[in-house]
Order: sequence, then C-alpha cells, then structure tokens
Amino acid sequence: MSDYALPEEYGLADLLCCAASREVQENEIVFAGTGLPMVAIMLAQKTHAPNLKLIFEAGTLDGRPPELPTSVGDARCEMGASRSSGLYDAFSIAQRGYVDLGFLGGAEVDQYGNVNTTCIGDYLNPELRLTGSGGNPDINSFAGRTVFIMVHEKRRFVENVSYITSPGWRVKKWPGGEFVHRRELYGAAFRGGPSAVISTAGVFRFDEESGLMYLDTCHPGKNPEEIRGMCRFDLDISRVKGETEVPTREELRIIHEVLDPDGIFIPRVNKA
Amino acid sequence: MSNNKRITLQQAAEIIKNGSTLTFSGFTIWRRPMAIIYELIRQQRTGLHLIEVNGGSHTEFLVGAGCVGIWESCWVGHELYGKYGANLSRKVGSKEIIVEDYSHAEMMFRFAAGAAGAPYAATQSSLGTDLHNPEYDMLGRAGLRDGKRIPRHKYVFTEDPFYDAGSLVLVPAAKVDIAVICVQQVGEEGTVRVNGQYYSDPEAVRTADITIVMAEEIVPEEYLRRNADQNTIAGFEVNHILECPFGAHPTGMFGRYDVDGAFLKDFYGRTRSQEGFDDFAREWIHGHDQMSYLEKLGWPRMLGLKANTALNYSSRTKKGGK
Repeated sequence: MSDYALPEEYGLADLLCCAASREVQENEIVFAGTGLPMVAIMLAQKTHAPNLKLIFEAGTLDGRPPELPTSVGDARCEMGASRSSGLYDAFSIAQRGYVDLGFLGGAEVDQYGNVNTTCIGDYLNPELRLTGSGGNPDINSFAGRTVFIMVHEKRRFVENVSYITSPGWRVKKWPGGEFVHRRELYGAAFRGGPSAVISTAGVFRFDEESGLMYLDTCHPGKNPEEIRGMCRFDLDISRVKGETEVPTREELRIIHEVLDPDGIFIPRVNKA
Repeated sequence: MSNNKRITLQQAAEIIKNGSTLTFSGFTIWRRPMAIIYELIRQQRTGLHLIEVNGGSHTEFLVGAGCVGIWESCWVGHELYGKYGANLSRKVGSKEIIVEDYSHAEMMFRFAAGAAGAPYAATQSSLGTDLHNPEYDMLGRAGLRDGKRIPRHKYVFTEDPFYDAGSLVLVPAAKVDIAVICVQQVGEEGTVRVNGQYYSDPEAVRTADITIVMAEEIVPEEYLRRNADQNTIAGFEVNHILECPFGAHPTGMFGRYDVDGAFLKDFYGRTRSQEGFDDFAREWIHGHDQMSYLEKLGWPRMLGLKANTALNYSSRTKKGGK
C-alpha cells in the first residue's frame, strides 16, 4: 500500500480504525461489536478482506449491513444476512469454535491482557460500577484471537486489573484464585487469546509463553519510553518494530464517505 | 381452550407482584416492553427480581424508580446513547440493590437450560475470570440461596466427564415467574411472530411460568397459522396478550420503528442522580397513560422513527441521536 495520508489528513480515531482493520484477515469469521470496531471490520471488508463473515451477538449470521448499525440488536445488521436468529445461535456458534477474531473494549487492561469492564475499585464496594461483562469474556474465551481497542491512560494500563471481566493470558484458577497460564485452564477448549491491544498510544501484543504484554508499534509522535511511562507495570519495549502504519487516503475515503458519513463513530478531521 | 387471553396494560402490570421474578424480550435497546415497564413504575412495584440475558434501558427505568431488589444479568447501558447504566451504578454504590454478575453466554445458557427443563448447563466460557470468584457470590453473601427459585450455588466447578475437555463450569437454569414480551404480532390464541432477530425471546418465554405478550398488533390467529414456519412462539406458551402500538418506545422494533436515540440520551443525561430520575419520571411517566405519553411525544417525532417497510429501519432517523 502506498498513498499514505499526511499527518494533517487524519485523526486518532482514523489511525485506530485502520490499525484495527489490518488485524482482520481474508475469509475470517469475525464477531463484531458496535462502534469503532464495526467501522474497522467493514473497512477490512471493503479493502483487503472482501470475504470476511460478520457475526452479530444478537443473532445475525453473516450480516451485510448497508449502513452502520447503532448496536448489534439493530435492524440494520440483518440486511443481506445469511441468517437472522438469536443469541443462543450466536453464542453456540462461538463456543463451537467458528469464530476467528473478535473486537472488544475495556476500561482497564493488565500486563497479561486481562480486561475489566465491570467496576472501578473493590467489587464489593465499588468506586464506580460499569456496564458489566456483556459478551466480552465469552468472545475472549471462544475466539481464536481477540483485539482490544482502548483509550490509553496510565490508570487504565495496570499491573493487575481490579476485576478480571475478560480472560487474558494468565488468569485465575478457582476456587483458589492462583494465576495460571490460560492454556492450562482451558484445556481442549484453548484456541488462543488476546492478540493485540490497540490503544491511543500504540499497538501492543503478547508473548504467548510468558503471557506478558509488549509494545509492538508506536503511533506517530510517540516513542517507546514515553509509552512505557504511560503504564503502571514494566512494559517490555525490547521488541518494538517501529511506527504504526498510518491510514491511506483510500481508507480515509471509505471511512468518511461510505461507512460513517455522519461522523457518528469516527469524527471527520479537517485540519487542512 | 380459552381464547380470551386479552388483558389491559393495567392488568398486565397487576399480574406482576412485589417480589416477582421477571424477564423480558429484546436486546439492550431493542424490543423492550416499555409501556408495561412504565405501568409497573406507576403502580410502584417493589422488590422485583430481574433475571435477564442482558439489561438495557428498561432495566435503568425500573432500577431508577426503585422497583428492583435483585438484578442477575451481564450488561446494562443504552449502547450509543448512554455508555453505562447510571441508575444501577448509583444503587450498587448505595447497596440498595443486589447484583449477580454472569457472562452474556452464561446467562443465555442459563435460559436455554431453563427453557429445556434442565437443571443446569455446562460451559467453558469465562474460565479464569472474577465472574467465577467465589467471594463474589452476592446472592450467597445475602443468604438468599434457598435452592428453590434461587439456585443453591452460583457456579459449580467441574471437569468434563465425557471427553476430557478439561475445566468446566456448571451454570444453574434460570427460574422465572413472568416473561414480559414485546413483539410485532400476536394472534388471538397467543401465537407470536417476531420479525427480525428474535434475540433470546423463545428461551425467555419457555423458562417463565407465565408469559405476557404485548404486541404492536393483535392479528387473526388464522392469519399466522397460514405460515406456521414463520412463527416464533406457539400460542399455548402464552398466557396473556395485549395490543399496544409503540409499546416499545423509546426502544426500537424491527420493521416498525427505530430506537429513539434522542430520548435515551436525554434520559441518560438527566438520571445520573435520584433527583434527576424522579424529575424525568414526573415528566414522562407519572400522571400519564400510554395515550397521553404518545401524545406528548407527538406525531412528527414518531413519523421520524417509523421504519421504511423495505429496509425495516427508518431512513430518516439521525443515528447519533442528535
């Protein structure tokens, strides 16, 4: 790909959207949430992965929405779908192992890729109760790979999340709660785990043996030391490949003219 | 066979008693039985036990109004129009409500078990998370696990005894007194036709002891039976029916009307505090009935939400709720 956009031609949301889109591979079955991930997946469908299949948690199988749905329950999801059904189908298909990739979000992530969407502070006396798990742990348990898209703040990148809503690479074995490698706990159901965290600062990946997060690429204008300083754990910056690939002009055109013309999920940047 | 299943909105709410265990149709901000939710708030129901595959705007209305004692589910919010459930969050903080967290698939499998008359389901979802933390068994901590309507355990950890697949959790079947369902069409004998994604409605109905169906329209039973393959729920699973056009507003209904995003945004913005909720309820719920509520919304607003019959959604609604 050439035709990269200049810094003044795109915003942070564009960069995240394109980075997320590049995580999708051709022919994959992708479990889609709403918002920015949906735009990213549909961008992949219109560029390098025209045969990807979308599954929506509310029950649509291989949906081809002509315009962006506001949520996975939306009537828009079902246009052109192979089948419209319900949650039992969607989750059974996921548990059965059909899903290659899922996009998820979170309020906090830890060094093992465990994610919290349940509460800030002690669960029994929370400072703030959040939305709860939704399908986050399910998709993260069942899919071959998951990609998290998150706002990067130091308080969100922590050594241990205050509540593990969604399982990373080293998780708690109950009833004792000691940390074990995910592979040990999931046994025959092990299919993978978090493969990337795309934050507003960079792209992070995981060493599947140690289960630890490392910095893969820095977004333009950020350097590894700076990003390490934005984490409350000792982030591995020894494997940095360079800068996150920036959007192309064609990708920006698809995002803003075709997928999200009203700027609902990806605001249009007009710096020029 | 009784053909007389018709009841009124007021009667529907009266079937639901203080302390009843309830579940609902729909998904987050779609096809929620809002007209009955409003009526429950007017009738000041208390101590309700909600057990739902996922929560949404209807949960926030009931919780904000103080109707709910226990909420077992996985998620609450208003999607694009409000990022979390501020009323639930407030009442969790003040310990006015017991929340029992499961994952989304676990809740779905709990209902699948309940619907099949099985005592539990087994799954490998969410292993290693704090959902399974024994310290976070909130109904157990409250001493409410009687093994009758509330299961003896939140989870049971075990190993696959058949294929050596490894660790499993057993999740208890959902037990529900009343399912309150909001759909496009119901026949006079109770046959339900859902258009679009049916979410977890079939399992919700089959799990519950009593089912109330509120439909956009009651249609001749014979009309639905001409194409039985298109029907979602058999008539004998349904106890009571009522017709209530726009009964899901401000949530959306496939093929009929979109989510009223501006309404939900306003609700989310104004109900962060109890005073804010009470003020919102005075404006939109108390002192109203369904007709005066619709009158207050007005024709232009409803026409803007009305779905295009070819697309099944509105081509006029601004999705951002602006």
